Amino acid sequence: MASPKTVPKDAQVMMQILKDMGITEYEPRVINQMLEFTYRYVTTIIEDAKIYSTHAKKSNVDADDVRLAIQCRVDQSFTSPPPRDFLLDIARQKNQTPLPLIKPYTGPRLPPDRYCLTTPNYRLKSLQKKVSSSAGRITVPRLSVGAVSSRPSTPTLGTPSVQTVGTKVGTPVSLTGQRFTVQIPSSQAASVKSATPTTPTVQNVLINPSLIGSKNILITTNMVSQNSSSDSSSLKRKHEDEDDYDAL
Amino acid sequence: MAAVQDGQMELDAEKETKPEVLSDGTSNLSGSTASGTPLTAGGAPTQEDQQTLIAVLQFLKRNKLSDSVEILRREAGLGDQEDSQTLEGSGGGKGDGGGGDANSLLSRVSIPSAAAPQNTPTPATVKRADEQLDVSVVLSAYSQQGDPSLYQVYYSGLKNFIESVLDCHRAELSQLFYPLFVHMYLELVYNNHESKAKAFFEKFGGDQECYYQDDLRILCGLTKKEHLKGNEALLDFRTSRFVLRISRDSYQLLKRHLQERHNNQIWNIIQEHLYIDIFDGMPRSKSQIDSLSGSFAGEARREVNKVKVFHGLLKEPEIEVPLDDEDDEAENEEGKPKKKKTKKDSVGSKSKKQDPNAPQQNRIPLPELKDSDKLDKVMYMKECTKRIRLNPENLPSICFYSFLNAYQGLTAVDFTDDSSLLAGGFADSTVRVWSVTPKKLRKVKSATELNLIDKESDDVLERIMDEKTASELKILYGHGGPVYGLSFSPDRNYLLSSSEDGTVRLWSLQTFTCLVGYKGHNYPVWDTHFSPFGYYFVSGGHDRVARLWATDHYQPLRIFAGHLADVTCTRFHPNSNYVATGSTDRTIRLWDVLNGNCVRIFTGHKGPIHSLAFSPNGKFLASGSTDGRVLLWDIGHGLMIGELKGHTDTIYALKFSRDGEILASGSMDNTVRLWDSIKAFDDVETDDFTAATGHVPLPDNSQELLLGTYHSKSTPVTHLHFTRRNLLLAAGAYTSQ
Repeated sequence: MASPKTVPKDAQVMMQILKDMGITEYEPRVINQMLEFTYRYVTTIIEDAKIYSTHAKKSNVDADDVRLAIQCRVDQSFTSPPPRDFLLDIARQKNQTPLPLIKPYTGPRLPPDRYCLTTPNYRLKSLQKKVSSSAGRITVPRLSVGAVSSRPSTPTLGTPSVQTVGTKVGTPVSLTGQRFTVQIPSSQAASVKSATPTTPTVQNVLINPSLIGSKNILITTNMVSQNSSSDSSSLKRKHEDEDDYDAL
Repeated sequence: MAAVQDGQMELDAEKETKPEVLSDGTSNLSGSTASGTPLTAGGAPTQEDQQTLIAVLQFLKRNKLSDSVEILRREAGLGDQEDSQTLEGSGGGKGDGGGGDANSLLSRVSIPSAAAPQNTPTPATVKRADEQLDVSVVLSAYSQQGDPSLYQVYYSGLKNFIESVLDCHRAELSQLFYPLFVHMYLELVYNNHESKAKAFFEKFGGDQECYYQDDLRILCGLTKKEHLKGNEALLDFRTSRFVLRISRDSYQLLKRHLQERHNNQIWNIIQEHLYIDIFDGMPRSKSQIDSLSGSFAGEARREVNKVKVFHGLLKEPEIEVPLDDEDDEAENEEGKPKKKKTKKDSVGSKSKKQDPNAPQQNRIPLPELKDSDKLDKVMYMKECTKRIRLNPENLPSICFYSFLNAYQGLTAVDFTDDSSLLAGGFADSTVRVWSVTPKKLRKVKSATELNLIDKESDDVLERIMDEKTASELKILYGHGGPVYGLSFSPDRNYLLSSSEDGTVRLWSLQTFTCLVGYKGHNYPVWDTHFSPFGYYFVSGGHDRVARLWATDHYQPLRIFAGHLADVTCTRFHPNSNYVATGSTDRTIRLWDVLNGNCVRIFTGHKGPIHSLAFSPNGKFLASGSTDGRVLLWDIGHGLMIGELKGHTDTIYALKFSRDGEILASGSMDNTVRLWDSIKAFDDVETDDFTAATGHVPLPDNSQELLLGTYHSKSTPVTHLHFTRRNLLLAAGAYTSQ
C-alpha cells in the first residue's frame, strides 16, 4: 500500500472508511474503484439536480433538487429486492397450487420451446434474383466453423449439425452489421439437411452464437446451381438489395 | 381515504395514551430541548406534543366530533386561540407561528415534494386536507415515541436491574440487551433524532455481545432515516419480532420490575417488537444461550420446530441385481436374492414395513425410473460392495484436485455422483467441465450423421458420440456474471449453474450446450442443487427466497420465503421432500416441498451459513458458516445436538461419508478435517422431556470427535465429495499467497 503522505486525501478517506467498517484486507485497486464510484455517482446526481433546477427556473441548485435527483436515481441503479410481505404474499399464492404430475416417458423434460435456448435465433433468407450475379457479391470464404459450439438446429432432436464450410482458417470473422454470403460447394450442399424443406436453395448454416454481435445478420447461401422457388412465404425474401436484415 | 381510516383508529388508541404522554411531557420539560420555531403558548406540553394535539384537534373538528374536541381541549389545557393562530399563520404565508408548525410538521414526515405549502397562501381547507394526511403519518410515527433523551435513562435503568438479579437469571435476562438496544436506536434514527441516536450508540454499543459486533458496525453507519429505506434486512428486523426464550421465573422477575417502575417505553418496545417464548424449566446458562443465539431474529419459537418432518428415506425401488455369475441369478418377487453368496448391500430394502418417519412414496410426484436409471442403480450397488468401511481407525484417503491458474476466480465446484466428471464455475462467467477418468468428453453427433449410424447395434451409445470432439475439457459459455452454484443431475445428463446475472442455466452434458435459462431471481443466485432423483432443483439468491423448479417448467413451482437476508446455500434432503436453506441471517430453515411451509428453523450460527450437508440416513443436518463452527442438528426433534469447533475460517465444504460414519469439512483455512459423526450422534439422547425446553445440553467434545486435520499448503477447500467407495475427493483453487 502507498505510504500515507503520497496518497491523496480522497484515497485516505476511503482507507479510513474501510478501516471503520472493519475491513482489513483488500486489494489496492479497491480504493480506486471506490473513488471512481464516488466521483461518478456524485457528478451524476449533481448534473441531474442542475437539470431539475433549471426546469423549475431557479437560479441556484438547492437541496430539494438534489433530493429529487437522488430519489429518481435510486430506483434505477440501486434497486433492492422486494419487501418481505410482498414475498410472503406471492409465496403463499404460488405454494397453494399442487405440484404438477410428471408425465412418464417423455424424453428430455424441458419447458416449451419458446422458453428454451435450443432454437436458432436467426432466420434465413433464400436467394432468388441473385442467381446470376453471384460473382459480384461479397463473399467471405473464410469462416471457421471448427470453432463452432453448435446449437441444435431443430428442437426435437436436440443435436447439433456442425458443418465445415470452405477452407478452415482459424480466424473467426466478425459478423456485426455485415451481410455476407457463404459459398458452399454444391456437392456438400446436396447432403446437407435444409431447414426449410420447401426451398432447396436455402441452406442451414450454424454460426457460433458468440461471434454474432448484433442481431443484424443476414446469412444468405449461394448455390452454384440454383433453382429458385419463390413461393415459400414463411420467410420474407423481398428487396434483397435493401438492408432488410432479419432481426430476431 | 385509507389514510384517514388509519388515522382514526390510531387516534382512538392515541386518546387513551394521551394523558400519559402529557404527564411524561410535563415532568420532563427540563430535559427536553426546545426546537427552532418558538412556541406561541409556552405552556406545559412540549412542542411536539403541542403540534400533535393541534393536529388531532383539527382532525376531530373536521370530522365534527365536537364533544371529543371539547374534552380533549379541556384536558390538554389548550385554548381556542391556539387553533385560530395556527390557521392565521398558514393564511399569512411565511410565518414562524402556526405556519411554521405546519411546515415543520410536514417536513418531519419528510414528504419529498419540493413545493412547500408555505409559498402559496393556502386556504384553510387545503391546509386541513394536508394536515389530515399528515396527522395519520405523524400519529403513526409518534405512536411509540417517548422522549428521546430518556432512552439512555431507560436503558441504563434496565441494565442496573439486570445486573442486580440472581446469577441464574442474569444470563437469560441479558438476552434482552441486544434487541432492545437495536430497536431503541432504530426508533431514534427513524424519528430523526440523529445526535441522540449517535450518543446512545456510543454509550451502549460496546456492551453488546461479541457476535453481534458485525451487525453493530453496520448499524452505526446508519444515522438517518433515508439510510433505512434501502436496507431491506433492517426493515424486516423492525417489523419482525425478535424471539427470546426465557424461563418462567426470570420472566416474572422482569415483568414485575418493569411494571412497578412505570418504564412504559421499554415495556412498549418489548410488547411490540419482541416475542418472549416462555418455557418451564431451569433457567439456561450463558453458554447454552450463546450456542443458540446469534441470528437476526433471535431464536426460533418452539412451536415452529414441532411440525412433523418425514426425515426417513424413500424405499429403494426393487431392481434385479445381476450377479457376477449370471446363471445363479434367482430372485424372489421381493427382490432379495436367495443365495447366500450374493451380497447384502446396505441400500437394499430390508424390511417391508413402512418406516414411520419416511414420507409416502407418492407424497410428491417423482420421475419414474428409466432403463438407463436402472442400469445406473445396478452399477451403484456393485460399487457399494467394494466400498471401504470407515471408522476412526480407518480414515479415508483424500485426493485433492487443485485448480491451477484460476486467478482466484474459482467460485463453485461440483462432482457427479459416480465421480467421473468435475465441473468448475468461475468468476469470468464460464463453466468448465473436466473428465476425471481417462475417458474423454465427447459431444453427440450432428443430426445428419446420426441418421447414418446403425441404430440397432449394441454399442449405439458409443456410436452416437462424435470422436472428433473428444477432449478432456469442455468450456460452457453463456452466463453474464460469475457462476456461484453448480449441480450435476443424478443421471449425469444435465448440469445446472447459477450466476450473479440472476439466471439458472441448464446445460446438456451430451451436446455441451445450454438448453434453458430459468429467470426468476432478478438478483444474484448464490446456490443451486438438483434433487437426488432428478427433475426438481432448488435455487437460492439475494432476493431472500429459495425457489423450487422443475426442469420442464419455466416458472418456479414453489417459493420459499421467510429468510431475513440472502439465501446462500440450498440442499435437498435425501428423500427429496424437504429443502434446507442456509442464509446470511444466520438461520437454517427446512422447507416442505409439498406445500412450501417452513417446518424447522435452526439458529445458533454467528455468521452467514455457507455449507449444508444431510446425513445419508436423513436424520441429521450439518451446517458450516463463516464463524468456523460446524453445527449438527437433529431434524426430527428440531434441536442442536453437536458443535464442532476447530476451523478458524469460513467452512465452504461439508460432506458425510457414504454410510454416514465420517463428516468431512473443508474451509478457507486450507484444511480438511474429519469428524466422527457416529459418536457425535450417539452421545446425545433426546427424549421428549428435554426436547420440550427447546435445547439439549451439549457436551464440549470437539477434540474427541476430531479424527484428523489435513493441511494443504495454500489452497482453500471449496468442495468435498466422497466417491462411492468412500475415497474423499477435495477441490480448491491454488492461491499463491
